[in-house]
Amino acid sequence: MSETRIVITGLGAVTGFGFEWQTLWEKMLGAEHCVRPWQPDDVPDGAFAVRYAAPVDMSLLPEKLQGHPAWTTPLEKRSRFGWVAATQAVADSGLALEQLRGAAVLCASGAPQHMLADMLLTEAPDGSAPGWQHLMPRCADVSAEGSLCQSNDRLARVIADDLGCEGPVINISSACAGASQAIGNAFQMIRRGEVKVALAGGADSVLNLDTMAALYLLGAASGEQRWGADLCRPFDRDRSGLIAGEGGGFVVLESLEHALARGATPYAEVLGFGSSLDAYKVTAPQPQGRGAALAMQAALDDAGLRAQQIDLINAHGTSTPLNDVAETLAIKQVFAEHKHYRALAVSANKSQFGHLIAAAGAPECIVTALACLNDLVTPTVNLHDADEQCDLDYCAGEAVSRRVDYALSNSFGFGGLNTSLALGKYREHGQ
Amino acid sequence: MNRAIYINDAAILNAAGSECADLLGAPLNAQPLAFDARRQAFALPTPRLPGDLFDRKIQRSVEPQGLRLLHCAARLAPALAALDLPPARIALTAAIPEVDAPSPCWDAVQAIIEQPHKQLAQLLANTPPLHALTLLNSSVMAYVAEALNCHGPMGGFCSQDNAGLDALIEACQQIGEQNAEAALVVSSSPNLTPALYLREPGLASEPVFGEGAAALLLSSTPSQDATQTLRIAGFARGYSADPQRAEAVGRRVIDQALSREKLCLGDVGRIVGNPDDPQLNELFAASSQALGSTRGMTGELGASGLLTEVALSLHHARQSAATPGYTLLVSHTRAGHWGALLLASETMEKHA
Repeated sequence: MSETRIVITGLGAVTGFGFEWQTLWEKMLGAEHCVRPWQPDDVPDGAFAVRYAAPVDMSLLPEKLQGHPAWTTPLEKRSRFGWVAATQAVADSGLALEQLRGAAVLCASGAPQHMLADMLLTEAPDGSAPGWQHLMPRCADVSAEGSLCQSNDRLARVIADDLGCEGPVINISSACAGASQAIGNAFQMIRRGEVKVALAGGADSVLNLDTMAALYLLGAASGEQRWGADLCRPFDRDRSGLIAGEGGGFVVLESLEHALARGATPYAEVLGFGSSLDAYKVTAPQPQGRGAALAMQAALDDAGLRAQQIDLINAHGTSTPLNDVAETLAIKQVFAEHKHYRALAVSANKSQFGHLIAAAGAPECIVTALACLNDLVTPTVNLHDADEQCDLDYCAGEAVSRRVDYALSNSFGFGGLNTSLALGKYREHGQ
Repeated sequence: MNRAIYINDAAILNAAGSECADLLGAPLNAQPLAFDARRQAFALPTPRLPGDLFDRKIQRSVEPQGLRLLHCAARLAPALAALDLPPARIALTAAIPEVDAPSPCWDAVQAIIEQPHKQLAQLLANTPPLHALTLLNSSVMAYVAEALNCHGPMGGFCSQDNAGLDALIEACQQIGEQNAEAALVVSSSPNLTPALYLREPGLASEPVFGEGAAALLLSSTPSQDATQTLRIAGFARGYSADPQRAEAVGRRVIDQALSREKLCLGDVGRIVGNPDDPQLNELFAASSQALGSTRGMTGELGASGLLTEVALSLHHARQSAATPGYTLLVSHTRAGHWGALLLASETMEKHA
């Protein structure tokens, strides 16, 4: 394997907490969450069973970002959030545009924003069945910001065009593992020498009626009302399904040599990446966590780490009944030697900013990098009564100060598409 | 890459047929689109999936583009099984178009049109329970993984035409870095829907689209029964939407793909690329090689276009009269992605 070391030198995050990673980190350490009452547009209050989410609050948009072209370019909401997050990450890295020319852009942009109004343009004038043929004469009325006019890779290209990146521009599609795959693939591209700098992450928003109705009918989204906004409860006995968030996150990755040559200070080092397939059922994780364990082990092997070296696992932790048990079992399997799983800190970020679906792995990678940098672990909030099968230290309720030399960040997608990123504290003289 | 990677088998499906030899037949005529008679395209009937590999529910619930992909993947099952590998050593990478939904939900659309004041109730009552999985284009990866028992590394890509190359490169890297011994690379073109024509119409001239799919089986060892092998000898990719920079980026990508074998363009026996792309023509103007592709037989196949060309290269390499040599496949998307893939056709004795 190459000796090239790869570091994170720029962070950008847009979540329900706001538009800057510093706000995200501060609020998370304060054990806050940004889940609040939510209903889809044009639906009467209380009519739709899913009533809570973690949407991006535009009133928090700082003045310096109000003139960002994302807000005036015809784009889907997810692409706007992603573009802003990417811009923030580049600014945070201190890279100049000319240093980005050869850079790669990898992103996961998740679910297209299907517009019901667009679909109603398929209505037949004579009352017969709807069909695409009826939409074509009305295509001037199709929303420029909806999926029919926006390709899935629009975000990756708009970022590359804006920054003048001429390296590979790649759009990832691996469900909720998407952003983690983007970061992992970017890490691998730099390690293989394909590029020196990469911008990687993702953005997503499923907070529209069409997609949320689909997630609810699938049984993935929680329609529980009992806990109010404290509904996202990973590993808790009363967890009831995912709580959708929206937003995006990007990191700037570069070779350590490149970073040091320009005087940058790394946040953390990316050490390895692993992925796997459950090959079980499209609607459920493999119950023993087989695929999740394979991905974590692959990340450890790729990083050249022993399981006993890991201090923190940033869990996928969706607050769904099946995932949280399977992930716990997977962790126990990989970290079985000397029962190291008892010494691990496990944290579930989704309890604080919801499930960003395809983008989830990006802000979670950022939080993991910051944990390595600061020796602080963000809490799993709303965890009051752990499931008897979920018996690890999930850092319930409040942030924990503990040394984090090495960490894994897990992202597992629908259908058993699994990824795990291995991160480490940046050390001048290597790991 | 730390070790050689071979293309051992391929499956295709497009308007020309389902065998690579079909791509060598007489050119077909595109037909008027069902939803827009002013435009022509190469449409396909939805394929039937083999019942022994896939649950019948999949046939009913997956979009046609996904069914095409699964159909091709299924045809590689025997060759994959013959490798007799542990599932964790089999990688799966995919180039999957997004779903232009809620096209699978015409019942819901109809119901809302009939009772617009009951929009939410009609949407919930008429949306299939598995609709979210249909919207989630990567769910087809889960179906392939389950049916063909792939537990190893994975990667899903959903860009434009370049996604096929992205999936192929990822598979090569996983084998090259010894994370897997074999990889399935699966791809599909998008469905023919208005979205193909409404998205970014300002880009270069509208191609004649086609529906199709392609799947490849890659391995670290050449196929035992082949006298000729097809090895992946190099690849590179880049991007520029700036017409002033496009040629420089394209040239760099081609040079990078050739560099691993220390070749120059004159060493390449066959160049595959869209002959109607002016920037590609510009790049190869000084070359004695003519650009050729199967687009005239299939239409523009999106993410499965490049893999279809690779499948045809494998077909050529396996012909008894095939001469060893290099094939360079170059792709340039309307959006500005560049990709180059170098294939080496070699006699089996070389590896004996």
